Amino acid sequence: MPETTSTILTWITFIPFIGMVAVLCAPKQNLSLIKGICGIATFIPLVLATQVYFGSFQKGTSEFQLVHFAEWIPLMKINYHVGIDGLSLPLVWLTTLLLFIAIPASESVPRVSKGYYALLMLLEVGILGVFISLDYFLFYVFWEVMLLPMYFLIGIWGGPRREYAAIKFFLYTLAGSVLMLVAVIAMRLDTGTFSIPELVRIGGEGGFTGPALLGMKFTTWVFWFLYVAFAIKIPAFPFHTWLPDAHVEAPTPISVILAGILLKLGGYGLIRACFPIVPDAFTTFAFTLGVIGVIAIVYGAYVALGQSDFKKMVAYSSVSHMGFVLLGMAALTEWGMNGAALQMFNHGTSSAACFLVVGVIYDRAHHRDLNAFGGIAQSMPRYWALSTVAFFASLGLPGMAGFVSEFMTLVGSFQSADTRFQILVLISCVGVVLTAAYILWALQRVFLGPLNEKYKDYKDITAREVFSLAPLLILCILLGVAPFLLLDWMDSSIVQLMRQLGSSI
Amino acid sequence: MFALTDLHLEGFRLLSPEITLVTVSLVILVMDLLGRGRNMTAIALVSLGGLALTAFQLVAAFNDQPATAFGLVAVDKFGNFFKLFTCGALAVVIFFVMSDRREKSTHIGEYYFLLLGAGIGIFFMVGTNNLLLLVLGLELLSLSSYSLAGFHKGEKRSAEAAMKYIVFGGLSAGVMVYGVSLLYGLTGTLNLKVMAGVAGAVGEGHTVSLAAAVTDSPGAVAAAMVLILGGFSYKISVAPFHFWAPDVYEGAPTPVTTFLAVASKAAGFGALLRFIGVLFMSPGTQEAVAAYGLQVGQLVAVLAAVTMTIGNLAALRQESVKRMLAYSSVAHAGYILVGVVAMDKAGFDAAMLYLAAYYFMNLGAFGFLLYFHGVTGKETFESLNGMGYRAPLISISMVVFLISLTGLPPSVGFYGKMTLIYAAWDKGINWLIICLLINSVISLFYYVRVAKHLFLMKPSEETAQPQPAMTGFLVAMAGLTVVFGLWATPLLEWTSSSMDLLAAR
Repeated sequence: MPETTSTILTWITFIPFIGMVAVLCAPKQNLSLIKGICGIATFIPLVLATQVYFGSFQKGTSEFQLVHFAEWIPLMKINYHVGIDGLSLPLVWLTTLLLFIAIPASESVPRVSKGYYALLMLLEVGILGVFISLDYFLFYVFWEVMLLPMYFLIGIWGGPRREYAAIKFFLYTLAGSVLMLVAVIAMRLDTGTFSIPELVRIGGEGGFTGPALLGMKFTTWVFWFLYVAFAIKIPAFPFHTWLPDAHVEAPTPISVILAGILLKLGGYGLIRACFPIVPDAFTTFAFTLGVIGVIAIVYGAYVALGQSDFKKMVAYSSVSHMGFVLLGMAALTEWGMNGAALQMFNHGTSSAACFLVVGVIYDRAHHRDLNAFGGIAQSMPRYWALSTVAFFASLGLPGMAGFVSEFMTLVGSFQSADTRFQILVLISCVGVVLTAAYILWALQRVFLGPLNEKYKDYKDITAREVFSLAPLLILCILLGVAPFLLLDWMDSSIVQLMRQLGSSI
Repeated sequence: MFALTDLHLEGFRLLSPEITLVTVSLVILVMDLLGRGRNMTAIALVSLGGLALTAFQLVAAFNDQPATAFGLVAVDKFGNFFKLFTCGALAVVIFFVMSDRREKSTHIGEYYFLLLGAGIGIFFMVGTNNLLLLVLGLELLSLSSYSLAGFHKGEKRSAEAAMKYIVFGGLSAGVMVYGVSLLYGLTGTLNLKVMAGVAGAVGEGHTVSLAAAVTDSPGAVAAAMVLILGGFSYKISVAPFHFWAPDVYEGAPTPVTTFLAVASKAAGFGALLRFIGVLFMSPGTQEAVAAYGLQVGQLVAVLAAVTMTIGNLAALRQESVKRMLAYSSVAHAGYILVGVVAMDKAGFDAAMLYLAAYYFMNLGAFGFLLYFHGVTGKETFESLNGMGYRAPLISISMVVFLISLTGLPPSVGFYGKMTLIYAAWDKGINWLIICLLINSVISLFYYVRVAKHLFLMKPSEETAQPQPAMTGFLVAMAGLTVVFGLWATPLLEWTSSSMDLLAAR
């Protein structure tokens, strides 16, 4: 039985819950009070997470830290077991940051109300809970807790086709999580435990003896069930079709959270709760995953090139960028895995920034048609400068965060023991070129050229908008020149992960 | 000459809850006759008081050793569970009758009398190992239900519901009694334990166990089993005996629908679990009988799969919320049968836990329906449009019930579904689990539709009058749904200890 060493993670996770309760108790006319509560309830976790990042977290060990353990439902051997390592810590921190940013960014959401902020707080609880859970049951509960707030946030405060987008998101995720539930229960009955570290240990020793299903042996189908559950969230081809709809309809702050964190849950789930549990199946199918990743990279970029909706373009760019995550993981090299983990964080900052940028112009123009803009750089010079930084980070310009992680991923894949990955790297380079094309072309259509008269009087980006955008842009640049600020923290955990996956490092 | 012996006194002591209930129902009848429809509130309060007293006696007898009164009535924890369940459900139904604004009948006294009469039927039905008493109890329940379903004499729908119910009910009762008589003819006894060949259980006259009957005349035993299961299927609305359910549920007054969907259905399950449990899984059941039970289990598995699929697919197409809930309750009967299919203690535990969950979420959902029917006079999805903003507390509670009905955490319905999957997986009935999970995803469609109309649609002109008692009730139910969803230990322990019929394996 693991020992409780700290309760700080529990506080980080549940302070937003307290915030939610406070919001619900507040009078609904007093929106500024509600915003204040939310600001505090998201700021405290951010401060605590920062303290954990630079303070109590020990680098150089792959053990789970700051563990909080308590029995929950002893009859079914379900425990409240949370802790972090180098893989989850950056994502926890990113979550607290993006949620904090989302509060001022919510100012521009039409019809925003008390319910919106309460759901936002609940969403934060769910996301943080998934990142810190070390008990698969708890993991599942938090995973599902995220669903409903997201459904309502898109469905009530979204764009014209919000109902369709919301239900599509809900059904895709639920279909995936149902598969996860089967796999979790099967593993529990096979091994008698829900504990993720314990399952990883048993899986590494080849200790599963469960029954075959659909003609696949136990580890194989568990792998595929879990993979599909997480792939839907990433979203990996061919499960990505909910993403453009959800993004286009969601209000800006929700898009930011969706692209910034929710997609990372898929990637995180794979390296925390899928690959290391069934390493044999993973190594068997690694190349298939690599192919899926490359399809996403090229296909996502190609489709993004064809979009005339600004937001949809950014949404497809997410599909493309998350393809790198899958490719890097599948390569099973240290560089590849580091690159994938780094890419998750970097995409979290750069895509969130891109969505904020789109939101700024949408609030003024109330449309997102790329072809209808033009010359905005003249009326909004500061906005142009910041947007360029965001999009260049997304493009992967050297010196920016995206470059480091994509480069590492590609090098890592090239080094893979499986030489077929070299072909995949070559193909994904096509995706890199396409990415440059659609981003530069979009920037050109929006900002350059003759100024469209309609946009002459637009107010430049406001202080509130800069407040949301600036931290993300700083991170994009900072991690471009100093990626060790992340890599040093992740290193031991990655090495441990590689060992669990049976790599010779 | 009749004389009271100690045995009689002991019998009366054991039957004291039943005696209380009978006495109270008679008191109500007399009050109604004397008061001529003027003292409605008093009658309601007396009914509630009687139920409370009965429940108190049941709780007081909770830890007693299993015993038999008058050789017919089995008093054990299993029966205790269902009797308490019935008391709880009846109390809520009476509360619904009291708060039903459309209920203007002058025959309320009879309403309550019939409800309590149905309750007495349930008490005997779930509390006996004797098939004759079981059939009698079931008939008492059915006869009361027929009158209740047609209680709004002037309404065509209500009369039609009663008529359909009687025709179907009469047919199924006949079918069941025929099955029972076959069993009696084959084995010479009506006592399930004697049939099971339990050592020490001796019937009167010449009896043989079911094992001997199976070898002598397998066809007749099979026919008897099919006929008896048919009779139960009608009571718990399992396909192909479910056709009455939607029409009757829709036509009957909503409190009566609640009674039929919750109390009557649970009673049917109680009797079914006892029939199968005692006959095939008693401590000391002959091997051959137990083996025969597994074959019966396969028949039940097919029924379960068909029922949940039919119920869910039909629920998808409904325009009336009440009819949707009717079909959804058919689907839930299919889920609960999965626990029966497992044919062991874990499975029966799960079925009972699911029933307990079903209590909270379905009473809640019907209470919601009653409230909105009272407000808008309609039961269609459209009539709910935008109501989430008029009656937020009630609507949020409904969303909680919907989560629970779908089987998502953190709600008590999730544990119900999970323990069912657990039990079935342990027995290797994987195809049924997959069927259950696919059905869960389907069910999300129509459950979410309610939430969609409540919160995502434009509000209509109507206003919602506040109804503090109903609001309080629904919030409390929603609270319990979530509390037991987070801390299921008490429910798990209660259901598990209540399953004292079966041999430990």
